[in-house]
Amino acid sequence: MMEFDAQAWVKVAAFVGGGIAMGLGAIGAAIGEGYTASLANLAVSRNPKLSGDIFKNMLVGQAVAESASIFALVVAILLLFMNTGDATLIKAAALLGAGLSMGFGAVGSGVGSGFPGGQACLGISRQPANTSRLTTNMLIGSAVCQTPAIFSLVVAFILLFMDFSAAPLNPTWAALVGAGLSTGLAAIGSGYGGGMAAGGSCEGIARQPEATGNVTTVMLVGQAVAQTPAIFGLLVSFILMFKVFPETTQLQTSMALLGAGLSTGFGGIGPGLGNGMAAESAVCWVARNLPSAPELMRIMLVGQAVSQSTAIYAMVVSLVLIFVV
Amino acid sequence: MGDLGRINQLIVTIGGQNLTFNLQVILMTWVVIAALLFFGVMVTRRRGMLPHSMQVLGELFVGQFYQLTEDALGKEYVEKYAPLICSVFMFVVLSNWLGVFPHLEEPTKDLNTPLSLGIMGFVIAHYAGIRSKGFKAYAKEYFQPVFFMMPLNVIGELAKIISISFRLFGNIMGGSIIILVVSYLCYSIVLPPFLIAFFGIFVGTIQAFVFTMLTLVYISIQVK
Repeated sequence: MMEFDAQAWVKVAAFVGGGIAMGLGAIGAAIGEGYTASLANLAVSRNPKLSGDIFKNMLVGQAVAESASIFALVVAILLLFMNTGDATLIKAAALLGAGLSMGFGAVGSGVGSGFPGGQACLGISRQPANTSRLTTNMLIGSAVCQTPAIFSLVVAFILLFMDFSAAPLNPTWAALVGAGLSTGLAAIGSGYGGGMAAGGSCEGIARQPEATGNVTTVMLVGQAVAQTPAIFGLLVSFILMFKVFPETTQLQTSMALLGAGLSTGFGGIGPGLGNGMAAESAVCWVARNLPSAPELMRIMLVGQAVSQSTAIYAMVVSLVLIFVV
Repeated sequence: MGDLGRINQLIVTIGGQNLTFNLQVILMTWVVIAALLFFGVMVTRRRGMLPHSMQVLGELFVGQFYQLTEDALGKEYVEKYAPLICSVFMFVVLSNWLGVFPHLEEPTKDLNTPLSLGIMGFVIAHYAGIRSKGFKAYAKEYFQPVFFMMPLNVIGELAKIISISFRLFGNIMGGSIIILVVSYLCYSIVLPPFLIAFFGIFVGTIQAFVFTMLTLVYISIQVK
């Protein structure tokens, strides 16, 4: 183990991190795009005369769904070819953290942003007169759906470009890896959940085009709440990256910081999905029952708040691990 | 790439405490305020029964947000809260668009701006809650469903500030970092204008609307 110098470790971390970023990052977008294409097929078989419009809409939707993977590609290329500058073991941990953050972070948004694309294709076959409304709503929904991937990208870039070499090696390496895991894992559920809400809204607009304004508003609020677990992950990542930890020789301090990242990261997956489900059915039913929109939104928000409490518990555990243990 | 994370700061020491001013952010906020004042003057100048084009724009905009507020809060609160909702949206959306112009930067890229807007919305929402329900009913909600859940309920409320402000900050900051890195990778050829249109204008508008809607929703949860 000792024959590796720091330079070699930095390279090792950069290559492994790049592989993780692109390998995991390729999962989500591919599934999402496949879902879009499968519903586009269904739509064409229902209404073959519109195959041109549906095809165009499918390609636009897939292009947006691809962006999470493109973020992962940018991070992977930077990891492979960037001049890393200072060769310290902390830098190696930061590069690995960047790869983990972007790789996991791209999964949820990629799958999620396939839902609005597919539902919009299906909607066009049902309501050809409202093609432009459906496409606009699809674009808004899948753009908001990318937010968790953007958070992971921010964390990855900060880990890539910030200079951590002044910090003591021993707890800081775990803090940086934990920072990557926290945002990356928490983004999975939020991205997927946001996509469910966006898909539901496209389906709803296809049912009742007059409800477009209300449906889009409820969708945006639902997606925003579904993204909260990813934001908790981002907060914990920022604390882990920017707090100065005193040097220690004890392993348990480092592990506490790694555990803090894992807690918020894993803890955010379920609430993100649950909030997405709540938002999906809320937007579907707002479209079918427009007069009850305020009540539906209220029930959605209360349900989401309850489902979110587990993410808050996870964040509390992380903060205790960081500041108390 | 070196200017990633560089901030112009003015540090003033008063009574042993360091006060830090982010000069660029303050300057950009003034630009936004000046632009909004200009817009306000243009819209309300020479008003008449036959509206000129700017007046139509202003009326459409204000009418839309009064309608949104009425949907969320009900008729009795529209007059009180719609001006707030309108101005929050105008400020945030213009802040997000500012990065489109060369040499200008989004004030919302600095966490201080979204955080102060978030805290403002939080305080207003809770003040509205106490005013409409009375302090006793307001305080009682923290002890639901059982009394020892109180600390977690308080953390849950405070987490709303974090969620609303970090969402705006993360999106705008993320967009500007992506533009910076991609411009650096492709030597500013072809791609950056599309990215600026997407992250600056499209995402900026959506996030400003989300921020405004969440402020409105927080108020409506407290009021009812």
